[in-house]
Amino acid sequence: MASVLVVDDEFGITEVLDALLTDAGHHVRRAINGRQALELVHEQRPDLILLDMMMPIMDGPTTLKAIRSDPQSASTPVILMSSLPPDKVVKMVDQAFESILTKPFRAKDAIEAINTALTGSA
Amino acid sequence: MNSPKGKIEPLDQIPSGIPGLDTILRGGFLRAGITIIQGVPGAGKTILGNQLCYNHVANGGKAIYVTLLAESHARMMLHMSQLSFFNADLVPERLYLISAFRVLEESGLKGLQDLLRREIQKHGATVVVLDGLVAAEESATSAREFKKFIHELQTQASLTDCTIFLLTGAGSRPVAPEHTMVDGILELKSENVGRRTERVLVAHKMRGVDVLRGHHAMRITAGGMEVFPRIEAVIGDPDTPPAHVTRALSSGLPVLDRITGGGFPQGSTTLLVGAVGVGKTTLGLQFLSQCTADAPGVMLSFYDGPAALLTKAGNLGLNFADAVAQHAVEIIWQPITEGQLDEICDRFLRIVRLKKAKRVFIDGIGGLSRIAGDQDRLARVLAALNIEFQLRGVTAIYTAESDLSAAIHGKPFDGLSLQGVSSVAHNIVLMRYVELRSELHRMISVLKVRSARIDSGLHLYTMGPKGIEIEDDTAGAARILHALESSGSSARVLDA
Repeated sequence: MASVLVVDDEFGITEVLDALLTDAGHHVRRAINGRQALELVHEQRPDLILLDMMMPIMDGPTTLKAIRSDPQSASTPVILMSSLPPDKVVKMVDQAFESILTKPFRAKDAIEAINTALTGSA
Repeated sequence: MNSPKGKIEPLDQIPSGIPGLDTILRGGFLRAGITIIQGVPGAGKTILGNQLCYNHVANGGKAIYVTLLAESHARMMLHMSQLSFFNADLVPERLYLISAFRVLEESGLKGLQDLLRREIQKHGATVVVLDGLVAAEESATSAREFKKFIHELQTQASLTDCTIFLLTGAGSRPVAPEHTMVDGILELKSENVGRRTERVLVAHKMRGVDVLRGHHAMRITAGGMEVFPRIEAVIGDPDTPPAHVTRALSSGLPVLDRITGGGFPQGSTTLLVGAVGVGKTTLGLQFLSQCTADAPGVMLSFYDGPAALLTKAGNLGLNFADAVAQHAVEIIWQPITEGQLDEICDRFLRIVRLKKAKRVFIDGIGGLSRIAGDQDRLARVLAALNIEFQLRGVTAIYTAESDLSAAIHGKPFDGLSLQGVSSVAHNIVLMRYVELRSELHRMISVLKVRSARIDSGLHLYTMGPKGIEIEDDTAGAARILHALESSGSSARVLDA
C-alpha cells in the first residue's frame, strides 16, 4: 500500500482517482491546487504525487518546482496530468517527473503509470 | 456618455470575432461588462464560450475559462479540438482553464469571487468565461447573496478591465434578478420549422447598444458558431432610400425588351409567373446569358443543379456555359431539403456583393417559401432583398410557379397565385399555356413594369434551339384565343 497525493482542481478527476486508488489498496489524499498540495506534502511526504498542470492559486509547473527544491520531497515520484499534448507539457516544466497522463485517460493506463512509478521508486 | 466637450463617445466594445454576431451586437460585447449567455443543454453555450476565448487570445488578449459543474476540461478540449478556431498552442500561456467547483463547495460564493479576482490578476486576463453559473446560484444561501455576487463581479470586471461571460441553463423565470444587473443577455435556442429544428440566437439586452432584435439563425459547423442576422433587419432599413434609375437592361429577348418598354429597369425586380415547364427558368438563363465580366450575374437555384442548368442552356443554344466558364455568372445551388432562410440569403448576398453583380436570378420563390416556412416573413425578406438590389443597381428576376391553368377569357389571371408576392415585384411577366385541340401553345404578357409604357398584349412564343422566341405581334395569340372561343372550350384547366 502506498500513500498517493492527487492534485487537481477538477472535482471529477480527484473523485474518480481517489476511488480507483483506494480500491487498489492505496491511501489517497487530495488537493485542489498547488499550494494545498505543498501543505499536504509538508505534513506527510507521499510515495507518489499525481499533479495537474492547470490549476488556480498555484499551477503544476510551479508546484513541481517547489516539490523538487525541498530536500524532503525532491525525490518523490511525480506523474503529470494534463489535457494538453505531452510535448507541450514537457516544455512547460523544467524539473524531473515520472510520466505524463494525457486526459482523458483510461483507468488501466492510470493504474499502469502509477504502478510503474511506485515500482521504480521502491 | 458625454465627454466634457459634449460629444457622444462611442462605446468601448470587444468584438466576438464570430461572423454575424458582431453585426447583431453592433460591434461586439461591452468591454469590461458582464454578459449572460443562456440556453438549454446542447444549445452551443460551451462552443460559444470557447470560441469567444480563442478568438480573443488569437488577437492578443488573455482569457480564463472557469468551469463549475460542467464538462471536464479534457473532454471539452477534445471536443473543441474538432473545431477550426481551436489552437492548442495558445493553452495555457494565453488561455488558462481552471475548475472552481471545489472552491465553490468549500468556500461558497465568497471563495469563488476571491478565486476569480486572484486568477484575473495573476494571468492578466481580459476575458473570463464562467461556465455553469447555475451551480453558483444553487450554492447561494439567498437570492440576495447571489445578487451580491453578480454585483461584486460587475465591479471586479470594471476595475480589472476584464470582460466576463456567464454561461447558464435556460432560466425558468422569464426575468431573473441577475438579468437586471448584467450588461448583456444572449439566449441560444432551438426552434421547430416543420419537422426540422433550427438553432437561433436572441440578443435580449446589451447596455448602450441598439442590438438587432429578433430571432437570428445560427449554425455550428467545423468552423464553430456562425450567426446569420435576420436578413430583413440588416438590409431592409437603409440610411438613404434607393435612387430612382431610368436606365433599362436587356432581358436578352428583343421582343420582350420592346413590350416591357425597353427592357427591365436597372435595380428593378421582375416576377416571372407561370406553370411548370412553361419556360421561366429558360427566360432567366437567357437573361443571365447577357452577363459579362464587367457586368456579372448570380443565380440562386433551388431546383436544378449547375450541371442540369448548363445542359438545359446548351440544348437551348444559350451561351450560358461560356458566361459561367468566364466567371461572368455564378450559380448557387441550394436544395430545398435543408437550409435556413437567413443563411441562404447571407451566402447569396455575399456573392452578389463580392462579384459586384448587376443581374440576379432566383429560381424560384417557391424554394425560398418552403425553407422560410413563414409566408409573412418571406414577403418581408423579399422586400428587403429588393431594397438591397435597388441600392446596388442590381436587376433581379424571380420565378413563381402558378397553377397549370389555361387562359380564361375575361379572367386572364385565374389560377395565377400572385397574392403575397406581387407586391414585392416592380415588374410582372406572365407566361402561360393555352390548350387548343391537341396542341399546347405558350403565351407571354407583361402585366406591369416600373415607370414604363408597356405592351400588355398576349404574344405567342416557342422554345427551341435558340431559346425562347417571342412573336413580335399579338396576331398569333389572338388567332389561337379566337379559335379557342369558337370551340367553346375557353376555360380548359389542364390538370384539375
